[in-house]
Amino acid sequence: MTETSIVKHKDLSERTLGILLLLPAALLLLVIVVYPIATLFWNSLHSADPNNPQAEELFVGLDNYTRAFVDDRFWNSTLKTVLYVVVTVPGALLVGLGLALLANQPFRVKWPVRLGLLLPWALPLVFAGLIFRWFFEYKTGVVNDWLAALGMEPPQWLSDPTLAFWAICIAITWKASSFMALMLLAGLQTIPRSLYEAAEVDGATSWQQFVEITLPMLRPAIFVALIFRTITAVQTFDIPYAMTGGGPGDATETLAMYINKMTLDFLDFGYGSALAALMFLISMVATSGYLRYTRRSAARSGE
Amino acid sequence: MNWTRSKIIWIAAAIIVVNGFFPAVWILLTSFKTETELLQVPITYLPQAATLDNYIAAFTAQPILRFMWNSVVVAGLSTALCVLVSALAAYALTRLKLPHRNLIMSLLLAVAMFPLISLMVPLFKLMRELGLLNTYLALILPYTVLSMPICTLVMASFFQDIPSDLEAAAMIDGCSRVGALFKIVVPLSAPGVFTAAILAFVNAWDEFLLALTMMNRVNMRTLSVGITLYQGEFAFPWPLISAALIVAIVPICILIAVFQERVVGGLTAGGVKG
Repeated sequence: MTETSIVKHKDLSERTLGILLLLPAALLLLVIVVYPIATLFWNSLHSADPNNPQAEELFVGLDNYTRAFVDDRFWNSTLKTVLYVVVTVPGALLVGLGLALLANQPFRVKWPVRLGLLLPWALPLVFAGLIFRWFFEYKTGVVNDWLAALGMEPPQWLSDPTLAFWAICIAITWKASSFMALMLLAGLQTIPRSLYEAAEVDGATSWQQFVEITLPMLRPAIFVALIFRTITAVQTFDIPYAMTGGGPGDATETLAMYINKMTLDFLDFGYGSALAALMFLISMVATSGYLRYTRRSAARSGE
Repeated sequence: MNWTRSKIIWIAAAIIVVNGFFPAVWILLTSFKTETELLQVPITYLPQAATLDNYIAAFTAQPILRFMWNSVVVAGLSTALCVLVSALAAYALTRLKLPHRNLIMSLLLAVAMFPLISLMVPLFKLMRELGLLNTYLALILPYTVLSMPICTLVMASFFQDIPSDLEAAAMIDGCSRVGALFKIVVPLSAPGVFTAAILAFVNAWDEFLLALTMMNRVNMRTLSVGITLYQGEFAFPWPLISAALIVAIVPICILIAVFQERVVGGLTAGGVKG
């Protein structure tokens, strides 16, 4: 009857409605993520005999994890994954920022630029990998044709461990900078023009405007783009898979590729699960680093 | 001053266009070349004796139209599901007075950002137990989760900007809360919903490893996996692969060309605020 009871009633139904609306997402996450996470850790503590899948799974404690620590191939693929992250995350950020700044110019005809920006993003990773594999082919590749035209000795890109790594980095950067550029362009377009006009009145150079206005205003967009990029970079699989298959030897193999090989080719689910759990840890460490950074910088700016 | 400005703009446009289009143009040119022309040193740029044989082979060597259909079904349905589920969640998190809103949001994002690749084995086993291997559902469900974080974020920031008066007015006119969501909030945030949908579609269209794992029957392969089936045992038939790639990227190119404005505009208008 009283007004408070009506309000109370409305609050309650709003809460129930909220739970109902969140339910589908929660259920999906439960089935597709939470339950698999639980089985992942359970599997990682058990050993399944790859030669006898019917056999009962044995509890082996942390054996699978200790095995990883003495497994050279695990360390190598982890190191390569970290290197891909370290090279391609800043690389894609720089190229993406450059593309976004270029794309933010006032073009009269917008569609060619927009399409040029979107196309690498819309191209599946495997396709990009295949195309770049071919760019870097020794005899028939276009890259070596350019090098030859410049009078340089064309190298065997994909059969040299170091060069193959860099070729893959170039391909990943090309592919990833597209979405990076989109997100940063979105950020750029929210910066009010008036800020630049005021700076121009004060006689600020374009470089000063970039450092004093663009970069600080762009920080939230850069931050979100970096988190998304890092999470994807830790999972790098498609492009090296298509370009080198992890070779030569296992020189360009990522952790995701090793896990895939261990589980789907060697059917060693126990060990593969332990590796996957370790990969999750790496991903957590990488992203929590960002989160700590934002919290610190938010504290600094007095938020 | 004006002259240099327009020059910068031209150079900017040229860089972006060349960077974006070069690989696609290169495979387009190659798809018309013959295998013998490809082995010539120095390499040729324009096809010397253009042929359509590679396209004929692309359609006959593998069921590429079937791959495409699989991709359309999987990407289309997972997009629809993802947008629906994310819209409901985003609505609850932005427009309802829920306790611990931010915590739920962070939790949702944290869980959904768990690297799916590391969950491949449990997912594979789960789908096998459910008898879903080689069915569309085995990919639709994970792809829905794959794009949930970004779709929820994009739509949440759009929903936030809609004045609550509009909703209240609709509810006074006898509309239910959920009715108001679909009659007022969603239509008004159409650009955001659209952007979310395109992001989800491209993510699903792009995915490779899960598609490789869950579908081992040739006629259930999606395009991204199907294309790799054109590889020979030892040699790479590049002209054939190029033709297949061109066939495979045409639909997504059309989609992007039609909706290009929406993608950039949608991310700009509300999207990524951090």
